[in-house]
Amino acid sequence: MSRRPPRGEYIETDTGNKVARKATLVGTQNIMLGGKTVIQPEVMIRGDLIRSIQSSSSSSSSGTPNNTAVAIGRYCFLSRASCLRPPGRLYKGAFTYMPLRMGDHVFVGPSSVIQAASIGNHVHIGARVVVGEFAIIKDYVRVLDETVIPPNMVISSFSIVAGQPARVIGEVPEGGHEAFELRDLYKTVGNNPQPAAS
Amino acid sequence: MAPLNPYTYIQCPCSDSASLGRPSDATSPTSADGDDEDNTFDPRAPRANFSLYPLEYLLYCEDCHQIRCPRCITEEIATYFCPSCLFEVPSSNLKSEGNRCTRSCFQCPICIGPLSVTSIETPPSDPTLLAPDHAATPHSTYSLICSYCNWSSTEIGIQFDKPNSIHAQLAKIRNGGASRLTAKERKERRKELSHRGGEAAVVAASEASGGQDMDLETQFANLKLFYNSQLADPNAEDNGLSSLGDLGFSSPSSLSRIMNLYTGGKLHDPRAKSKLGAMREAITAGEGLLEPNLDESSLISQLHQSDFLDTASSTQICSQPPNLGELHLHGAARFNSSLRPVPYLLRTKRSKRCPVCRHIISKPEAKVQTTRFRIRLVAGSYIPSISIRRLNLPGPNGPAAPAILGDLLEPLKPVHFLLTFKNPIFESLKVTLGAPAKTPGRFPSKVTVLCPQFDIDANTDVWDEALKDNDRESSNRSRRRAGTESQFQVEVGKIWERGRNWVSIVVEVVPASLKLEAGQDVLKEDEDVLEIPMFVRIEWEAENGGEDAASGPGRDKEQKEKRELAYWCVLGLGRIRQG
Repeated sequence: MSRRPPRGEYIETDTGNKVARKATLVGTQNIMLGGKTVIQPEVMIRGDLIRSIQSSSSSSSSGTPNNTAVAIGRYCFLSRASCLRPPGRLYKGAFTYMPLRMGDHVFVGPSSVIQAASIGNHVHIGARVVVGEFAIIKDYVRVLDETVIPPNMVISSFSIVAGQPARVIGEVPEGGHEAFELRDLYKTVGNNPQPAAS
Repeated sequence: MAPLNPYTYIQCPCSDSASLGRPSDATSPTSADGDDEDNTFDPRAPRANFSLYPLEYLLYCEDCHQIRCPRCITEEIATYFCPSCLFEVPSSNLKSEGNRCTRSCFQCPICIGPLSVTSIETPPSDPTLLAPDHAATPHSTYSLICSYCNWSSTEIGIQFDKPNSIHAQLAKIRNGGASRLTAKERKERRKELSHRGGEAAVVAASEASGGQDMDLETQFANLKLFYNSQLADPNAEDNGLSSLGDLGFSSPSSLSRIMNLYTGGKLHDPRAKSKLGAMREAITAGEGLLEPNLDESSLISQLHQSDFLDTASSTQICSQPPNLGELHLHGAARFNSSLRPVPYLLRTKRSKRCPVCRHIISKPEAKVQTTRFRIRLVAGSYIPSISIRRLNLPGPNGPAAPAILGDLLEPLKPVHFLLTFKNPIFESLKVTLGAPAKTPGRFPSKVTVLCPQFDIDANTDVWDEALKDNDRESSNRSRRRAGTESQFQVEVGKIWERGRNWVSIVVEVVPASLKLEAGQDVLKEDEDVLEIPMFVRIEWEAENGGEDAASGPGRDKEQKEKRELAYWCVLGLGRIRQG
């Protein structure tokens, strides 16, 4: 008699994504995961908030228009209870949503709400952070806990940002680039976690 | 009490000049004691705070073979850019336009959030007719709106005609909507007038405009014009001191010109001035005289009527750039209605140089969008990193309970900490540690480093190591996995564990008791933190390739040079329980 393997907490895909069973992913056909991404339980990704289709000739040429709501890069880490929501605005008279793009090695802290337009690579977002709509976060940015980033804010590279509203309070030192890598963190999560590298 | 995560701070040798000539002897735990106050580093000294840095902040100079900290490094600016629009600003613009963004990037004067340009919907002229939704009004007005606190520039009465180049439009508007002339416009007006009516017309016009409220820029322009006219042609009747009456040689303008040649262009040379004849000061507003308006009763009555929240706070006032459109002394914004949008301060990309040998240590790419570095010599690639973990050894009563990181340390009970040294370079490293037996401070804790001298293997590739000796690796792995920590005995002189490029050793600490005796001061801030100063000395063999010009054919192996580096570091382990 064959025994079914016990259900793990995470679903591991071929590309190495580790998605928790208890995570809420809505509109999964509009969510792109880069690979080796960890999605912890209670995470919510709103893939249903897509760009409302404009009546133009482009839709007739392609079969299914590219309706990415959320695009996530590689080695990202979405902590518990965080929420990724595409930002929306009035565009040419109609309210529509724009895609949320995230780069590689992005760490989103627990209970954070991300509504940015784009987040670069190697970004560390702390716990209970609110990133307002259409904010743009560039590469190598560290957002400390409980920050509120107002809508339309642009945070340039190598900044350390904190406060409500967010202010740049420091710069990331040259020796701190390696701290943003999430390869080791990826290995510690999953159905067969490796011990954390001390 | 705030929980304390263990940290490691390293002291840069730039902090004391004596360290340059100090012999770097290895200090064993027994010899480095409190007697040598000069040699033992005291992390509680007030100066120590400024020389301690975590490893990420330190850089390394390859030529001096020394670590450099943000304090001793020389910085040069590579690029200026606006942090909001990410537009590069050429440094020539900086001198003329200043160090703020001159496009449309502004910060809210109330909350320092970003301002965005939005068009104000003008209500349709006939309320009974519905305007089509997407029809743009023939001339739409724009205003700046803060998305965090909902402040709008209409609150100070400013609206714009175009959505771009807001900075230029803002310079022409005062709070409340009144327009003002910028310096350029004033110059052009003056040129026009002088073409038409000559000097007298210009002076008359400036006098006429001086009747209005004179702002900083106008006053400066008027004063400058007046003084220039005084220098060129002083009033003859006031000239009682001049004895030189010949023209051609002694006219004040030619004299001042000759004097300037010799003195290098100083405008107010005292010798030239006496020969110029007496100059007078400005008399009228048109010449730049601003009579101080000491009557502030209107402002005071306004303050009586308004709310406390209607006044601007000191941080809000300080973040305002100098406003050339307002009066000089009495123009300091007291009310929120006189605050203006703050243009963003420009940010820089800087390249760093070693102060001693002037080699570049860190150089980012000049382009704002790229985050790469051309040169990036960080200390993390040259000196071993230290990570601290609490170690729980089973006591005589059986297996110990696991301690949470950041727990309070019990006074007078020995605790063990595991220090892991990771070797980043491709050579094997010999590490010698020295820590004073008692930590400096009012409450000395006892410190014992169980293994003060050890070797760390080189940071070779993972695959090379795995291919080389597979058996040894597997046996090591099994030993590590199988045994719980109780199998390892804490022995003096032996390391705890060894890995590919890391070694961990045990440090035993007996925290001091924080009991205050009679007559002693209260516990100061952070005095209950257990900090160990430790002297680290690393030795390694580096290949001296490339420097030797006399490498003949007979030379087979490369010359290895023994190098060493020594520095003080401070390990913060945790807080001691009080009482």
